[in-house]
Amino acid sequence: MANKTIEVLHERCMGAGNCVEVAPDFFDQDPMDGTVILLHPQVAPGDEAVVEKAANVCPVAAIILHSAAS
Amino acid sequence: MASTNETATLRKFPFQRDWPLSQPPEMAEVRKIEPISKVQLWDGSTAWLATRYADIKQLLNDRALSSDTLRPGFPQSSETAASFRKGQRVFARMDPPQHDVHRLMLTADFMIRRVRGYRPYLDAMIDEVFDGMEKSGGPVDLVQSLALPVPSRVITKLLDLPPEDSDFFLDRVQKAMSLDSTPEESQQAGTDTLAYFARVIEERWDSDADDLISRLVRGRVRTGELTPEELQHMLHLILVGGFDTTANMIALGTLLFLENPDQIKKLRENPDLVPAAVEELLRYLSVAHHVAYRQAAEDTSIGGFDIRAGEGVIAPIMAANHDPEAFPDPEKFDITRDARGHLAFGYGVHQCLGQPLARVELQAVFAKIFDRFPNLRLVEKVENLEFHNSIIYGVESVLVDW
Repeated sequence: MANKTIEVLHERCMGAGNCVEVAPDFFDQDPMDGTVILLHPQVAPGDEAVVEKAANVCPVAAIILHSAAS
Repeated sequence: MASTNETATLRKFPFQRDWPLSQPPEMAEVRKIEPISKVQLWDGSTAWLATRYADIKQLLNDRALSSDTLRPGFPQSSETAASFRKGQRVFARMDPPQHDVHRLMLTADFMIRRVRGYRPYLDAMIDEVFDGMEKSGGPVDLVQSLALPVPSRVITKLLDLPPEDSDFFLDRVQKAMSLDSTPEESQQAGTDTLAYFARVIEERWDSDADDLISRLVRGRVRTGELTPEELQHMLHLILVGGFDTTANMIALGTLLFLENPDQIKKLRENPDLVPAAVEELLRYLSVAHHVAYRQAAEDTSIGGFDIRAGEGVIAPIMAANHDPEAFPDPEKFDITRDARGHLAFGYGVHQCLGQPLARVELQAVFAKIFDRFPNLRLVEKVENLEFHNSIIYGVESVLVDW
């Protein structure tokens, strides 16, 4: 099964940090302004649930999970 | 605009609770029969009310809706709330893009990694607070002895202010936000706090220290990005945002646990449940019960209803967090449930800036309190306690013994 990929819409990010709390292996915060840093765009099938949760708790919907190109 | 006949049949909002810790029964009823409806407010104006989790989430992230309370016709929960907000010039009440510019000046200071660094300080401070309770001997008022001192000390630490000034803040924040204050009292309390911050900004004008206020003065005010007045309001917002909210979470959270001794047992048997328990407390109590008021700046829609520019919209956090579609059996306080998707800190661009700090404070308190006081109990029954219906929901005092 192909990996899904994460896209972050940086201009939307408010630095709430929920993604970092839920999925610290994938997201971090910029020490200058707290906005999102994407650590790994590739999501192995076993990690999909946690990344989906991170996308779901992002208050400005700045995290998009793309299915592999079909 | 609703006609007189239409207005006469509308439900009055806010709804009344029949049990101090639960959602108003009318909220559950309305969610079932008319999940999106129009309601009438204290001043006779009308607004849309959403009661389902999915709708509330969508509305709070809808950029057609404005948070700017200075807009004519902006819906308000009460006369005091209207008066309190009239004096506010803060990014919580601004819309993007201006909101984003101001908020992003603060986000780094409230980042999870940074805020977690407070945990050792918090653990030591909370131990001290518990020592004080033990020394004075029961019964003690949990609000005065624990719930208020914890966030007030954290704020004085965060802003590097003298700890003894926390009594001043406490008094003014309560006066500013209480629905029992007259509009004049509420406004005066806000003016006093702004004057206090004006003095601090002046004192730190030439400071090269590393505290948040000195850094903002140096990096934002002296550079012309922020006026001194804007910084006063920003500091006021940090104060109001972090004080009453966390204090009431501590007091009401302890109360909710004491009403559910089986959950205390679970927590003590498995300390790993502390973070989940805090999320469940946040969901269940939803203390920010009169904050999610908006006004449509442009036409938009929700659940098949058209909202026209100028109309008021209310998207109550409590309604979302007690929607059985999102949280099965919502009136059950269950620290083992996955409550993480709750909207207790709001949603959209205005979601609480201080949420990582609130979480770490609450986790520090609830990790210890029931081990330190295993026989903690209420002196009075919950129904005899006095609850306050401010912008933030809370309790006046809670006598406990052990």
